[in-house]
Amino acid sequence: MAKTILFVEDSASVRQVMNSTLTREGYQVILASDGQDAMGKLDGSKIHLIISDVNMPNMDGISFVKQVKQLPAYKFTPIIMLTTENQAEKMNEGKAAGVKAWIVKPFQPPQLLAAISQLIQA
Amino acid sequence: MVNRRTKNQQNNRIAIEGELTIYTVLELKDKLLAGLSDNSELELDLSEVGEFDGAGLQLLVMVKQQATTLGKALRFTGHSSVVLDLIDLSGLAGFFGDPLLIVRPSTQ
Amino acid sequence: MIPDEYLQTFVVECSELLEQMEQALLIVEQAAEDPEIINAIFRAAHTIKGSAGMFGIEPIVEFTHAAESVLDRVRSGGIAMDAVLAALFIEVHDHLQAMISRVAEGNQPFPEIDERSKILIAQLEAYLGEAKTEQPEQSAPAVHQPKLEREPGDTVAGTDLWHISLRFGPEVFRNGMDPFSFVRCLGKLGAIVELVTIIDAIPAAADMDPETCYLGFEISFSSDAGKADIDAVFNFVRSDCLIRILPPHSKIGEYQRLIQELPEQEMRLGEILVSCGTLTAEELNTMLRLQAQHGGEPQRPIGEVLVEQHLVSPPVVEAALEKQQQVKDNKRNEANLIRVDADKLDGLINLVGELIIAGAGTNLIARRAGMADLIESTATLSRLVEEVRDSALALRMVPIGATFNRFSRVVRDISKELGKDIDLVISGADTELDKTVVEKIGDPLTHLVRNSMDHGIEAADLRIARGKPAKGTLKLNAYHDAGSIVIEVSDDGGGLNKDKILAKAIERGLVSDGTGLSDKDIYNLIFEPGFSTADAVSNLSGRGVGMDVVRRNIQALRGSVDLDSVPERGSTIRIRLPLTLAIIDGFMVGVGNAAYVVPLDMVVECVELQAWVDSSDGHYLNLRGEVLPYRRLREHFGIDGEAVARENVVVVRYGERKAGLVVDKLLGEFQTVIKPLGKLFRGEKSLGGFTILGSGEVALIVDVPGLMAQVEHEKLIEQTAVAAAR
Repeated sequence: MAKTILFVEDSASVRQVMNSTLTREGYQVILASDGQDAMGKLDGSKIHLIISDVNMPNMDGISFVKQVKQLPAYKFTPIIMLTTENQAEKMNEGKAAGVKAWIVKPFQPPQLLAAISQLIQA
Repeated sequence: MVNRRTKNQQNNRIAIEGELTIYTVLELKDKLLAGLSDNSELELDLSEVGEFDGAGLQLLVMVKQQATTLGKALRFTGHSSVVLDLIDLSGLAGFFGDPLLIVRPSTQ
Repeated sequence: MIPDEYLQTFVVECSELLEQMEQALLIVEQAAEDPEIINAIFRAAHTIKGSAGMFGIEPIVEFTHAAESVLDRVRSGGIAMDAVLAALFIEVHDHLQAMISRVAEGNQPFPEIDERSKILIAQLEAYLGEAKTEQPEQSAPAVHQPKLEREPGDTVAGTDLWHISLRFGPEVFRNGMDPFSFVRCLGKLGAIVELVTIIDAIPAAADMDPETCYLGFEISFSSDAGKADIDAVFNFVRSDCLIRILPPHSKIGEYQRLIQELPEQEMRLGEILVSCGTLTAEELNTMLRLQAQHGGEPQRPIGEVLVEQHLVSPPVVEAALEKQQQVKDNKRNEANLIRVDADKLDGLINLVGELIIAGAGTNLIARRAGMADLIESTATLSRLVEEVRDSALALRMVPIGATFNRFSRVVRDISKELGKDIDLVISGADTELDKTVVEKIGDPLTHLVRNSMDHGIEAADLRIARGKPAKGTLKLNAYHDAGSIVIEVSDDGGGLNKDKILAKAIERGLVSDGTGLSDKDIYNLIFEPGFSTADAVSNLSGRGVGMDVVRRNIQALRGSVDLDSVPERGSTIRIRLPLTLAIIDGFMVGVGNAAYVVPLDMVVECVELQAWVDSSDGHYLNLRGEVLPYRRLREHFGIDGEAVARENVVVVRYGERKAGLVVDKLLGEFQTVIKPLGKLFRGEKSLGGFTILGSGEVALIVDVPGLMAQVEHEKLIEQTAVAAAR
């Protein structure tokens, strides 16, 4: 059974590239362009990993994570957050919300794949 | 999504379906301990376990140890592939002591 | 590895983001307090950086990183988004656009764009100041390679397998992580020879919380990977897990320490290590024997531990000490100074401004009433108020030295970067000017200094060929001159190439031809908007880079800039700035029922219009043989009513130019507190602000450079139209 990854990112080009990379690796991918969009895509079906950017319009990554953690179906879903080194404050907020895995932007697909493979396997 | 159900077809047999993971261990702990106290002999059918993780594994360890403490016989049967896979990786097959049919995929 | 179609998405996405960024930048000055505007700019830079990084377009990543860092400071309130910074970001935006269009064309290397990036990055980094610290490239804590050299006499134990001990923290499951995931991931780096799952910590049924993690592993592992790579597998659980990684053939003491650190019984662990194949039974026995003899190691001093664990390095300590010393020195200098909140000073200046207005009102009433005693008394009062004003303004005055001194570092760094030997000579460092002006002049100055060094000062061999010393000299000078401060940036370089500038200006349509233009007029064309474009950088003798932005920034401070150049001898750029931004001496004129104030230091003389003869085309006046452009304020501001019979002309001078303003009445000198105009007047370039008269009426302050620029612009359009009609 293929593992499902929810990928939340406002950059269309990053979504496009990561979608093809993750699909090629054998993951099922759900794409969302911001936190609000992502919340709309959480319908209770199993998600094995959430990858989310921090800086996004409408609903940013931190608010999104806080909301996800409130949903019983996803309270233990691992989350990787994409951040930049300038965001110590955001990171602390995210850590308080239960995010343990951080990837510093900009990254290239292999770096993210390596991080994913630490948490789930295809 | 947690389509796990436990069936008590017979009093001394519990089947776990779906997830045996962090999402279900809290519920299952009570279920399994109750089953153990109600029966002197208990069979845990793992054939329908679709997802199995470390939390599920340590729950099985705890139940097994509890059975030993209570002097009851607990058997795990019908291990699904995900269960076999993790027990194999953990090196705990000997601890559980159940007969296992280990089929390694030839493609690996 | 990334298909072209994705790159197209990237280009389209960036164009959209840049458009948003530009829109936000255009309104950011008016809405500097609106966090959403700043956020929009930040997010655009942030997203472009992230996407560019994924496509591996390093120049864009590096560039947007600098922009993002500054924007982040703006967001957190550390830096104000003022006109100068907004202008810089407009440049950043334009430059990003250029970079992205290169990507769209498919040529990845951008040599000349790199050059521009460097300049802009340096300008951005200037905002980050000293607080900027080197950021580690990766989020993962630096992992030091294990020291593999052996100390003499230390027994080597173990096999050629790595040994990894893991005890997971209680929250691991709840954080969405599975210890076995890490083990599987480890399996990709090598072969797991033996794994023992440690279940000792799982409590009895009653006490067990099934969501708490009690697991641990002892793993013997065969791999050619480095320690850092193995260690990196556990990055996400590092903070709350016990992780010990011993390389193959570690010292016996290290295994010993491992056993001590782990929570389980020593004998049990020893057996696990043996069963893992990490240690032989014999080695274990030796270890346990040693253990018994020493009875554990004595405590070591913390310093030794820190050094051993590479937690501090000597340069860091030195830097910290240096910093402490600096702080001490500064404290000594500040002993006889009082620090005052700049806002309090602004409040004082505002009050003084009101006082001046009130005083002028009293004066007016006294004169109208014709009471000699009162007039005398208000005269004394006015004099005192003037003194109060000067003292209050002096409080805001700071010497320009600190700003100049910053450039010794800049000059040193750029010299190194350019491979040129250049001396910086500073004079007039004691010259004082308004604090606000000092803050805002730094960036235009940086721009000018960089330009002079980069394009002005020639390479050493060319200098020698021209009979000049090999070492170039850059001078920064400041002095007071007639109510303004003048800052000069001069170099002894090659000067500007007049012909090339003229050719460029004609090509760009800035002038029709060179007739009637003095050398100086031609040199100053480089400040025209539209003159400097990226490709002007390489083929003109330089100075093309954003000089119009420099001028715009200086004009925003009610200043002016002009340039002198002597071929092969060097150039001097002169910035003229008002001493303060808050209060000016004005000259009041009347047009119809309205009153206007012209800054007094710009007024040369006043004459009756009758004495003048209109030149043939109606745009110029003849003043004792000198041809001056002129403007009727009545026409310019669209004031109704009949023109008076005897109009007056106020001859104004700004920078090196003169012009005539035709008005109805001359009302005399008047001290003016400048109040900024509302947003409604943003577009009106010929007004610099307003002031309230003693009578309570409002007078508008004429921005002479702005007005004349507008006049010249209209003239240019007319000329073009005439030329086209022919």
